[in-house]
Amino acid sequence: MALAKPASISFLKKRKSQTLSSPMPSAASYLSALSQADARARNHNNAGRSPTSTPALSLSSSITSSSEDTVLNEDDTIFDNSDGLALPARPPTSEQVFTTVHTEFGHCADQRYRLVSEHPSGTELPSHVDYDPPYYILLSTYVSYLILICLGHVRDFVGKRLNPSSYTHLIPKNGYAPLNSDFDSFYTRRLKTRLDECFSQPVTGVAGRTIVLLDRISPDYNHTQIFTGNRTRALNISSYNYLGFAQARGGCADAVEDSIRRYGISTCGTRLTGGSSDLHTISEALVANFVGMEDALISSMGFATNSTFIPALVGKGCLVISDELNHASIRFGVRLSGAHVRMFKHNDMKSLESLLREVISQGQPKHHRPWKKILVIVEGLYSMEGTLVNLPAVIELKKKYKFYLFVDEAHSIGALGPHGRGVADYFGINPRNIDMLMGTFTKSFGAAGGYIAGNKDLIDRLRVHGHSGAYAEAMTPAVLTQVVASMASIMGVAVPSMNPSSSTSTLRLTSATNSAPNNTACAIEEEYSHPGAAPPSSLPQWLTLPPALSSGIEGSNRLRRLAFNARYLHNGLNKLGFITYGHPASPIVPLLLFNPGKMNMFHRMMKDRQTPIVVVVVAYPATPLVTSRVRFCVSAAHTKEDVDTVLRACDEIGDVLDLKHGIKPSERWSVEQICERAVEVAEM
Amino acid sequence: MNATSTTIAPVLDFLAHTLTTAETAFNKLPGSAVIQRYVKSSHQNDPGRTILELILFIFAIRTLLQSRTRAEKNFIKFSDKEIDELVDEWTPEPLGQSLTPQEQADLAAVPIITGPNGPKPKLVSTGKTAINLASFNFTGLSGHEEIKERAVETLRKYGLGSCGPPGFYGTLDVHMELERDIADFLGTEAAILYSQGFSTISSVIPAFCKRGDIIVADRGVNFSIQKGIQISRSTVRWFDHNDLKSLEEVLESVEKERKKRRGPLTRRFIVTEGIFEKDGAMVDLPKLIDIKFKHKYRLILDESISFGTVGRTGRGLTELYNVPASKVDMLVGSVANALNSCGGFCAGSQIVVNHQRINGLSFVFSASMPALLSVAGSEGINILRNTPSILASLQENIQAARAILDRVDCITIPSHPASPIIHLYVKNSKSSLHPSTATTIVPSNKPSNPTSILPKDAASWDWDVQAEEKILQDVVDEALAQGVLITKAKRLRGQEMVDPRPSIRLALTSALTKKETEKAIGVVKNALVKVLSKRR
Repeated sequence: MALAKPASISFLKKRKSQTLSSPMPSAASYLSALSQADARARNHNNAGRSPTSTPALSLSSSITSSSEDTVLNEDDTIFDNSDGLALPARPPTSEQVFTTVHTEFGHCADQRYRLVSEHPSGTELPSHVDYDPPYYILLSTYVSYLILICLGHVRDFVGKRLNPSSYTHLIPKNGYAPLNSDFDSFYTRRLKTRLDECFSQPVTGVAGRTIVLLDRISPDYNHTQIFTGNRTRALNISSYNYLGFAQARGGCADAVEDSIRRYGISTCGTRLTGGSSDLHTISEALVANFVGMEDALISSMGFATNSTFIPALVGKGCLVISDELNHASIRFGVRLSGAHVRMFKHNDMKSLESLLREVISQGQPKHHRPWKKILVIVEGLYSMEGTLVNLPAVIELKKKYKFYLFVDEAHSIGALGPHGRGVADYFGINPRNIDMLMGTFTKSFGAAGGYIAGNKDLIDRLRVHGHSGAYAEAMTPAVLTQVVASMASIMGVAVPSMNPSSSTSTLRLTSATNSAPNNTACAIEEEYSHPGAAPPSSLPQWLTLPPALSSGIEGSNRLRRLAFNARYLHNGLNKLGFITYGHPASPIVPLLLFNPGKMNMFHRMMKDRQTPIVVVVVAYPATPLVTSRVRFCVSAAHTKEDVDTVLRACDEIGDVLDLKHGIKPSERWSVEQICERAVEVAEM
Repeated sequence: MNATSTTIAPVLDFLAHTLTTAETAFNKLPGSAVIQRYVKSSHQNDPGRTILELILFIFAIRTLLQSRTRAEKNFIKFSDKEIDELVDEWTPEPLGQSLTPQEQADLAAVPIITGPNGPKPKLVSTGKTAINLASFNFTGLSGHEEIKERAVETLRKYGLGSCGPPGFYGTLDVHMELERDIADFLGTEAAILYSQGFSTISSVIPAFCKRGDIIVADRGVNFSIQKGIQISRSTVRWFDHNDLKSLEEVLESVEKERKKRRGPLTRRFIVTEGIFEKDGAMVDLPKLIDIKFKHKYRLILDESISFGTVGRTGRGLTELYNVPASKVDMLVGSVANALNSCGGFCAGSQIVVNHQRINGLSFVFSASMPALLSVAGSEGINILRNTPSILASLQENIQAARAILDRVDCITIPSHPASPIIHLYVKNSKSSLHPSTATTIVPSNKPSNPTSILPKDAASWDWDVQAEEKILQDVVDEALAQGVLITKAKRLRGQEMVDPRPSIRLALTSALTKKETEKAIGVVKNALVKVLSKRR
């Protein structure tokens, strides 16, 4: 295939020299300089497109099968490559053929930038080393909150007297109590509003490697947001697109299109009352096969998977032991169930054990009868911390204390493990040791909804007694197809065996398929044997995946790219001197900011760079008060150069905002050093 | 001796030195003078007081440091060995009981459709097509070519999943468009989109109703509302199912109670449904609105069934009764049922909607809806708006069905004549069904107890749930054998606040012609007559 002139390189160089040459004395001047440069660049681009880029040619070269109607062509301002996003930093050679759009799924052919996500067997999960920030940071953080709270109260006090019209929704009126109590909404009104620029940013297009922002401005300190009509393409290190299946092109999207034409939009109704489709049966069998359980049940919303199935598992007289950082949906479900709840310290096995000893010996409160059953609910990968559950230790405890184990793999399924089968796969533990495996399709599979898997009796029970079956709408065919297609491409589809008779009705996986010749990376055969490729019969008959997907090569490539990117970013940030949380294998990388004021700054500075980067900042109440953080979610869609871009940006901004409080300066590396020795950094 | 004094001297010097430095350092602290003066004066007045204060101080520190969890009264101290023994002894119940044979049979009888669903889908079990009166395809939008086309276009632009919650780059322009379309269609200021219809109202209610607030709810509200009320922890009062007189009585008694207790003004809500999922009854909206304004309550109205199925163009109850939708404070509806997509919405004022963007649990903590489903919803609204004939033919089919069903003797129909879902109860025949129920209960004129969800006549309910479920399943099987797919209303027995009476739930559709509907309903009627007469 013909290839474009490497137009992007000149841009990269230009950017590099720009960013390195000017030392920035303060954050404010930095910001204004950035925005000026940005404005200049935009004017220039609007006036006439940059002559050096040859976009049309290079674009068509990077998409093998698509026509001209990509998102890229939609908007001229987005199309140029001055942000370094539209074209790969390293132009492909003539042997390389990429089937993805670079803005959706980055082109990265370098096999060095691949790793396997696997726990080294025989070792313990290292407990996380917490770097404490210097005291002045903590102090200034508390002081900032104090100032914010005082100012807020003063403004409320004065405002209510001088400008009562803007407080009408907070005071009783005409005999109606206010919808929003003054006190309850204080945090939202006085603290969160200041940060609103960072939240709910509307976007358009695919949430892939890049994302297109609908630019907005606020003339009145974030009370209203006005759309300017402009769009900005930004590097997306925020979406839960771990394996990069958020794509508008490619085998999965083709399959989805086919299914829409065949099945329509909806299956019309709930699962138990006329909304069940053969696609549901097929997908559930495939999901069960994928996670290595006997049976699985699919629900049309991830949140609802927890909130509607947990009440069918436990009830009065049962105890739920829940990690203190468990997701809101789990708490919602547990509260609905009426079971008693106790919490243990986040991922602290000692705390869990002592709690278990206490609750089993004490029995139910008041009358001390033994608990009917105890369900321990943990998450595989915690979405705010990036920590992995210490699954081996939990399983050990489970053997001794006879509780049931429910693992929420919302973030870990697909994202962890040598075969992408989640946290059990990562630790090499047979998933059958776990009673209930729950997960979502929103994240790694680029779809929506969730599943819950377990033994057949239990799942059948949930089909009948879970709230979803009787009352919630079934999952739509388009989403089901995305799930099946992406899952099958992670597993790889086995080549049909000699006897074609078993191709239609039997969906259960037979052990024979384990020996499928094209199996991607099935090597470990200890106590845990991984289920292997998907039998062809487990896909709908009409569905054909392109060879790259059905062979599982693409899937395994994605898994290894994700593993590399995650470790590279995590270790890279550490080496730069930042404080990060979580496990290096986790695709969620939280970087600690502490000061609430820095969240806004960090967000703005990342977005206003020449290569805009969008980040997620999280603060209280999602995190403890002092540990405000920015949370990166790396994806297999990112190239090594993308991670470089993020590291460089963090490096610069970290200096300006005084964020480097991690390892000692003498142990730190420069960002150039890190980018050059990326493989070494990732394997650290 | 000399030696000891020389060794002690430097220690004493050091002590004196540290004391003086400590004193100067203390004096330098701001406010130290105040403390000093306080301690001095309190000591001079009464030396005993210093000791007392010291004890208090130590006690305060001790209380602060003490762990709070262990302070339970009931805690029994065990030794490690005893705990080990208790752990060994403890045998938990299984995580889930297996299904009973009856439940297994019911699960096996759940219809599974192969290929697209629609008015005449093909079933996996029989391999044949059947006329569909079970699935929610009220407006016949399932398989609509234009919607499919738009969905594919959207897929090619947005991919499938949004890969994030609305707060973190999950808000797409198409979501905002659908929200605007819904708000415009209904005539409210704004609307907010949830990604599952069922989870919508169970998040909307706790977003507004907190502990101490008052909810006055209908006794027949659907399961999702029940769960929302449960999560909200508000004070709940119940009024008789679809009885607005009872509602007024309850509202008055609540107000009386508040006056008696001289409680503060709290948020007060009426929660009810437009068309009840449970039995198809319809609320008298204009009267309800009057009552709500009279008593200064806010109204949370669940229009999941009625949105898109009643009114000239399907705007729901507000269009049917010609009431401005802005008078309903929170209007909750489904994008899944009549618009044949997925998800739910809550429409209301800007303040109501914005409040939910931060406080609606399943909005905040869940990924947003896939773009193509959102576009399908918008397109559905568009079609409803421009084609009033859809609603006309739906209503015609409903009337045709009711004309036949109303004349069947062995059933009772609680549903409103305009309701697109028709529930069929087995007619009470006291002797045959439930021999245990005595006829001693005399209905009294006393109103039901508003704190209990059970109505006053609950004691006289004499249906045998098991037997009726079984009979109704026979009807369903019989109808299917004749080529008509119908279903029982599925319930979560044991988890519902009140066990609803078993029923067959027909869902009519505009996709069938009047003739086809009549034929299908005729089959249902014959099945009913055949099975129910056998029972006698």
